[in-house]
Amino acid sequence: MKLSRNWLRQYVRLYATTEELQRAITFLGFEVESVTNTGLPPLSNVVVGEILTRTKIPNLKKDISLCTVDVGPAHGGVRSIVCGAPNCDAGRRVPVALPGAVLPSGFQIAQRKTYGHESQGMMCAPDELGLPGEHSGLLLLPATAPIGQPINEALPDGDTVFDVEVTPNRPDALCHLGMARELAAWLKYDLQHPEIKFQGTPKGTPPSPLLTSIRVDAPEDCPLYVGIAVAGVKVGPSPVWMQERLLAVGLRPINNLVDVGNYVMLELGQPLHVFDAKKIAGRQIVVRRATDGEKLVTLDGKERALNSRMLVIADEAKPLVIAGLMGGHDAGVDATTTDIILEAACFRPQSIRWTSRRLGLTSDSAYRFERGVDAHGTVAAAHRAIDLILETAGGTVVGPVMKAGGDRPWSREIRITPNYIRAKLGFDVTDDEMRDALIGLALPIKAEHETAAGLEWTVAIPSHRRDLDRPIDLVEEVLRIYGTDRVPSAICSGPALADGDDDPIARFNRQATDYLVGQHFHEVVNYTLRSQTELATWVSAAAAGELALANPFVDDQSHLRPTLIMGILESLKLNQSRGIPAARLFETGRVFMELNGTVQECVAVGFVLCHNPKERAWRTRPEPDFYTVKRHVEILARAAGLDLAAQPLVPVRGAYWGWQEGQSAAAGEMSDGWTARFGLLNLAMVRAAGIEGKVWAGTLALLPQKLTVGGSHTRYRPFSLFPAALRDLALVVDADRHADEVRAQLLQLAQAATGPSFAIERVEVFDVYTGAGLPAGKKSLAFALSFRSAERTLTDDEVNAAFGKIQQAIAVDGTMSVRA
Amino acid sequence: MQATLSALLAKATAELPALRTRADFEAAKARYVGPHGEFTALMKQMGTVPKEQRPAMGKLVNEAKAQLTTQLDAALQRIADAEIAAQLGPAIDPTLPSPDTGPGTTHPLTLVREEMCRILRKAGFTVVEGPEVETEYYCFDALCTPADHPARDAQDTFYFPESARFGNVAKKTPAEKYLLRTHTSSVQIRTMLKGEPPIRVVSPGRVYRRDTSDATHSANFHQLECLYVDRNVTVRDLKALLDYIFASLLGKDTVTRFRPHYFGYTEPSFEVDLSAKHLPKVNKDWIEIGGCGMVDPAVFEGVGYDPNVWSGYAFGMGLERLAMLMYGIDDIRYFYQNDLRFLKQFA
Repeated sequence: MKLSRNWLRQYVRLYATTEELQRAITFLGFEVESVTNTGLPPLSNVVVGEILTRTKIPNLKKDISLCTVDVGPAHGGVRSIVCGAPNCDAGRRVPVALPGAVLPSGFQIAQRKTYGHESQGMMCAPDELGLPGEHSGLLLLPATAPIGQPINEALPDGDTVFDVEVTPNRPDALCHLGMARELAAWLKYDLQHPEIKFQGTPKGTPPSPLLTSIRVDAPEDCPLYVGIAVAGVKVGPSPVWMQERLLAVGLRPINNLVDVGNYVMLELGQPLHVFDAKKIAGRQIVVRRATDGEKLVTLDGKERALNSRMLVIADEAKPLVIAGLMGGHDAGVDATTTDIILEAACFRPQSIRWTSRRLGLTSDSAYRFERGVDAHGTVAAAHRAIDLILETAGGTVVGPVMKAGGDRPWSREIRITPNYIRAKLGFDVTDDEMRDALIGLALPIKAEHETAAGLEWTVAIPSHRRDLDRPIDLVEEVLRIYGTDRVPSAICSGPALADGDDDPIARFNRQATDYLVGQHFHEVVNYTLRSQTELATWVSAAAAGELALANPFVDDQSHLRPTLIMGILESLKLNQSRGIPAARLFETGRVFMELNGTVQECVAVGFVLCHNPKERAWRTRPEPDFYTVKRHVEILARAAGLDLAAQPLVPVRGAYWGWQEGQSAAAGEMSDGWTARFGLLNLAMVRAAGIEGKVWAGTLALLPQKLTVGGSHTRYRPFSLFPAALRDLALVVDADRHADEVRAQLLQLAQAATGPSFAIERVEVFDVYTGAGLPAGKKSLAFALSFRSAERTLTDDEVNAAFGKIQQAIAVDGTMSVRA
Repeated sequence: MQATLSALLAKATAELPALRTRADFEAAKARYVGPHGEFTALMKQMGTVPKEQRPAMGKLVNEAKAQLTTQLDAALQRIADAEIAAQLGPAIDPTLPSPDTGPGTTHPLTLVREEMCRILRKAGFTVVEGPEVETEYYCFDALCTPADHPARDAQDTFYFPESARFGNVAKKTPAEKYLLRTHTSSVQIRTMLKGEPPIRVVSPGRVYRRDTSDATHSANFHQLECLYVDRNVTVRDLKALLDYIFASLLGKDTVTRFRPHYFGYTEPSFEVDLSAKHLPKVNKDWIEIGGCGMVDPAVFEGVGYDPNVWSGYAFGMGLERLAMLMYGIDDIRYFYQNDLRFLKQFA
């Protein structure tokens, strides 16, 4: 909202500088978005002068004149001044900057030779004096301006306009009187209310024929409606002072009646409407809901389709105004208007807000009604408007002040002790300072009592401060006037809260990040919202549907991400396209996965490892492969409390979203509460995304409740100090059997063979072979077996005996054979 | 015998330096000093030497043995040296770059978040997390945002269709809609409902606003929010926390101030300004950095805390904004592009 300093000055003394005022408004709680100065800044050595003669200087490309200018005896009488303005005609009075003057641009005026002539000053255009306007000619002053008078005296004062953001809890501050009330409290001056002469009509005044009745059909949406008829007005321009104030705050003057309505709204916060009485069919005003499909052309020329939730002001035949929002095109005042009805009403904020949203229509009036207009000030505002109408447009009030509703009295008190305020603030403010702050804000203390809790005040809350309801609300009022920037600092302290550790999600993310950064990965951060096209690579159309927003803002950010990989690939591509080698990227964050027809928000980590053959190095390192990413995923899973080695791994076969068949694996499903995918990203997809090289990747996603970071206590297990006995064994098995399955089987046989006397400690695969020497469809897996006893050094004989038993068991089993 | 000794030594002097491998050495050593070696054989002949010649001859044999041992040791040392030299390969050029991947980096948003959490942990705050998909209750209702408040409008908040079902976010009422949280304040409510006061938590996380992306706005961004609930918590305590946080994070020259403001869930409410002219690209006296206030009694009532017993403060700020301020970054979109030339500057 724009506030004019000149306007505010009608209600409170403002000696403060612009900076002080800006600070005051800011610390009262209203953010100042901009400060604009209009009018003339203070200027010295700039005076009124009259051009006596004008002589064109010959032989110049430009049109330059040599003038004699009278600036008055006090400033050296008649001076000779060179001027390039087209309008420096003899007889005109203009501002003259004398040597020594400094113009707002910083330009210093001195006597100097220009175009071959001595120039003893400069005649000024508006912009040169810091006034709005073009640089098209000299600023022309009235012929009555006294020669030699300082320019600041000759021209009206400038104004300063503050563009202020008013928070939604303070509708009372959406007008000049409201903000003046705040400033009066801050500056500790009295608030001067505008004098209102019209005090209503005597009881029993008979209705005038201009307005016979007001009927409110929807009192829940319109608790108060006031109508006053004025006959014999003359439509014309409003007075200059009113136009200046409206212009200063960005409103275009229309005519005296419309301007009065706007003026009172900006003065007191009460929106008003003026009807041309002759356009009200049946001479009656009906406040009712619109009917579905009813139409009204508003002032802006647009036809609006109304419905039955919207409130209109109508006559007996048709809607005239969308209540609180905007008048109809055909019902407003025009040049022929002679009789008017002034409307001052209150509407339910929710109703106005709903209609405003629905129609996509806002206005200064709606802005105020949406935030709440004080019904107890409505009649006074109407009276103020009548004063101004009679003053600017003439006419006489006819009939009574007609009123529907508004009979609910206002009374609110808050009991508060100064000790309570001090306890909430945590620092000392004296009773007197608090009392002054409250009274300054027009919150009178109606009574003081001594109670067990100390002094207690009963504070009366005026109707325009409905935001004040509880003692805590008054703490804020006191603090605002005390100055929030005066809150003292202190040592940050508080009793230790022993229980509680960081959330497992935070701890997991930290561990995953630390690990991957340690493994030379770069952390990236990507948007959660992705495009539907992108999702099609990773989830079914049905699953994508579950992830869709109802109201996306842009098409390519319409769905929740089901995997981090899509964002990481985007980062990879960006770097590649910019010629930045990027091999290892990772991200932690939330992903959204489908489970039994619901979407589950999961904690996730994902990474990629890119091998780009086009990147060169003076010494080549081994390429990453499946087992590189497998190790990373195992370690990340461990950070989440999962032992991947104990989980069945499924190789990816067939179409498996995003992953390359035969080169990737999966472990866990959402039904387990977690899922891991890792291996090579689908090469065709990677190519299609415009990424070069092979991209290995891993992801782990799990339900937050599945995270058990550092949950269990570790118990020490004793270990043998005796040496191990080692044997190697190569087994021939079907080529498609998984190594770990064979290993597990071998381990089982070995455990059976060693019995209770000693143990098989480890069985590890150390070689895989296919090819010459083996039957087709078979492969050889070589295992290292490690035997150990907790009590003694094993003898060759007993180990050999066990090893022999293992080989016999293998022969019996038949699914594998010992390689010769 | 003396002649035999001399011949043997001469032979060893000629043969031993030529040995190249450990095997050759062991064979040669056996030939001289092994059980059947030539020198061993000579030693055995000492018994046949006449008694009067024995001292002189013994001296000669000892000298010869010492010479032979020295030669054998030298030969072994030479072979060992050669083996090591062979293992080492040619000398390196220390100026060649390592072909291995460079160091990993932590994203600046993570760095700032973790630094804030570290500072807050010293003041007794622990990290809490909450879902990014929220319900209207946690994001708005419990924080005293009325049903028709503009912040709840579909123009500003991302909603999910009424048919959407989120398995691990429960609705309070069947009618409320799922949405993407617009602030981390929703975690305040979850924390208070789950626990008992006193509470001292920080909730960092991702939030969403339906907004045009530009240099200072992003469809998702990150916030960090502190909540303290205890007996007798004051405005001054809040100021003390903020002074502590920002002096720790940005240096002792950093000053904070409060400006009155309005938030539905705190009373009184403030915006926090920072004065930190020592930071890069800071050319204003005061920079707005976050919002805060004393927890509104109505919020306490909503979560079943007695506002006559419990009091508290809440403080929230944008992490991108803070990171931009700290590092002098002028475009929020850089955080989400992940150009390595950007990322590598902060680790």
